[in-house]
Amino acid sequence: MRSISFFTSCIAALSSLAAAELNLSQPLLSKQLLASTFKPPQVFKNANLVRTTNLDKGYPRETINVIIENIDSKPQSEYYLPFESSLLSRVGGLEVKDKKAASKDSFKVEVVGYDAESSTEFYLIHLPEPLEPKGQQTLSITYSVLSALSPVPAQISQSDEQYLQYTFSAYTPSAYNTDKQKTKVKLPSSDVPDYTKLPAELNAEKKADPQKQGSTFTYGPFDNIPSGAEELVSVRYEFTKPLTHASVLERDIEVSHWGGNIAFEERYWLQNLGAQLKNHFSRVEWQKSSYMNPASSALKELRVPLQAGALNPYFTDDIGNVSTSRFRPGKKEALLELKPRYPIFGGWKYSFRVGWDADLSNYLRKLSTGESYVLNVPFLEGPRQPEGIEYSRVNLRVILPEGATNVRFQTSVPLVDSTTSLHKTFLDTLGRTTLSLTAINLVDEFRDRELIVTYDYPWTAGFRKPIVITLGMFAVFAATWVVGSLDTSIGKKKTV
Amino acid sequence: MSSPLLDVWDAASNSPYQPTVGKGSQFTVGFLLLVTAFLLGGVFGLNRSFINLPILGIPASLAFGFGAVYMICAVGVYV
Repeated sequence: MRSISFFTSCIAALSSLAAAELNLSQPLLSKQLLASTFKPPQVFKNANLVRTTNLDKGYPRETINVIIENIDSKPQSEYYLPFESSLLSRVGGLEVKDKKAASKDSFKVEVVGYDAESSTEFYLIHLPEPLEPKGQQTLSITYSVLSALSPVPAQISQSDEQYLQYTFSAYTPSAYNTDKQKTKVKLPSSDVPDYTKLPAELNAEKKADPQKQGSTFTYGPFDNIPSGAEELVSVRYEFTKPLTHASVLERDIEVSHWGGNIAFEERYWLQNLGAQLKNHFSRVEWQKSSYMNPASSALKELRVPLQAGALNPYFTDDIGNVSTSRFRPGKKEALLELKPRYPIFGGWKYSFRVGWDADLSNYLRKLSTGESYVLNVPFLEGPRQPEGIEYSRVNLRVILPEGATNVRFQTSVPLVDSTTSLHKTFLDTLGRTTLSLTAINLVDEFRDRELIVTYDYPWTAGFRKPIVITLGMFAVFAATWVVGSLDTSIGKKKTV
Repeated sequence: MSSPLLDVWDAASNSPYQPTVGKGSQFTVGFLLLVTAFLLGGVFGLNRSFINLPILGIPASLAFGFGAVYMICAVGVYV
């Protein structure tokens, strides 16, 4: 029986290979698998926990400030943070810092999980120094959740207000017992027509939850919540702004030593995850209301701030150049204002590319130790919108000059993959050394995080291009001479 | 997690990369080199001899090689 199931699974695996269509909607996460009987050792407790959910932008941003206490008899350094597997694949930019030393680097964090059938997976946080028994430490855990807001109603008219629903647990999911905790929800406005009410018995101060204060809702405080406890609540609030979601962003950075230029190109596949249109799109209504500039669930404009010194910008899509754009160069910052060809309503998509040049001297420095260079570029640029933008996958390529070796890089953006390969383009013989980095579930708050790359580039490698052309040209001259000196005349050779 | 590469970047703050030929003069340099290559090639074409092959061919090829690289940069394809 077992052999039959093995055989069928082999057939299934082979057939999935044959129908090779890469499904990138499921992010490729590297993770460590644990036995299905795994339960995080109960060596910590959360003495006090305050979770703040910020719904100002088009994605929820969670901040968990927690005082953890070691209740074991040995020093401990591994703190587990549980997520449901469907949620974990949408959690992005999880960073953990010591609240009392916020300027220090964030802690090492990795994803661990059960087998594929388990519904709970964990982020494992490595404390830089093990916590002594009875010792306390304050952690500040921040992350964003992508595609977490659902429009309710799912269909609205063109100029209607949009309402979003966010469902979360009033008890912060934790692998440890929590003595005291509270969940705050910061909403963009006080227009909150629906929300879950919790009975006063759950609350430690016997107050009916949520307690409202302007546009902030507070659930709790709750006392002595056991590990793994959840209490799902929902809020539905007004948010008449687009939910801009980039399924893929491809960003290329090309370094040219000969031209003294660095070229950036970004290719976006955008989608608005907001409420869909109930009726057909009415251009007349859109045009009439555009002078009043009302809040709209459609994406009308993208403002992309670029670093000072940006040159030669372009904005094209599948059809060609999009002329509805403006470029404002400035001393501190250059601004690229892009208007898509059409307003992007809920469920609509738009893909385009933008690119620009800059002088290489602002980004590249030569090291005093021989022929090495260091490059410092922003990992992510892209639009800066009041409602934010989320990227489910970012593929960054740094195309270094042909012949660059010993490539090393460093960035504070959490990556899932990094490779070095060759990329062939104009006037290349071997191909240019290319560093490819992949990150998933990023949000626009990661703009301007630095990426530093060092590489060796000997001057002999630099001369490869002109020398190859020189040799080719010389071959033409030599061939001309050989062909010209052939005697193709008919008859006897004349002797003059 | 320290940031050794950031220290490397800061340490090299006095030596930003400067190309041999700046962006503003790429077209001039490229054009002059290509004209030189064209003229030398033309002279070689009028008088194709074995001795002219190194005397005219090598400088013409070198001028064409470097001229082509600068010209392609000058028109916006930064190689």
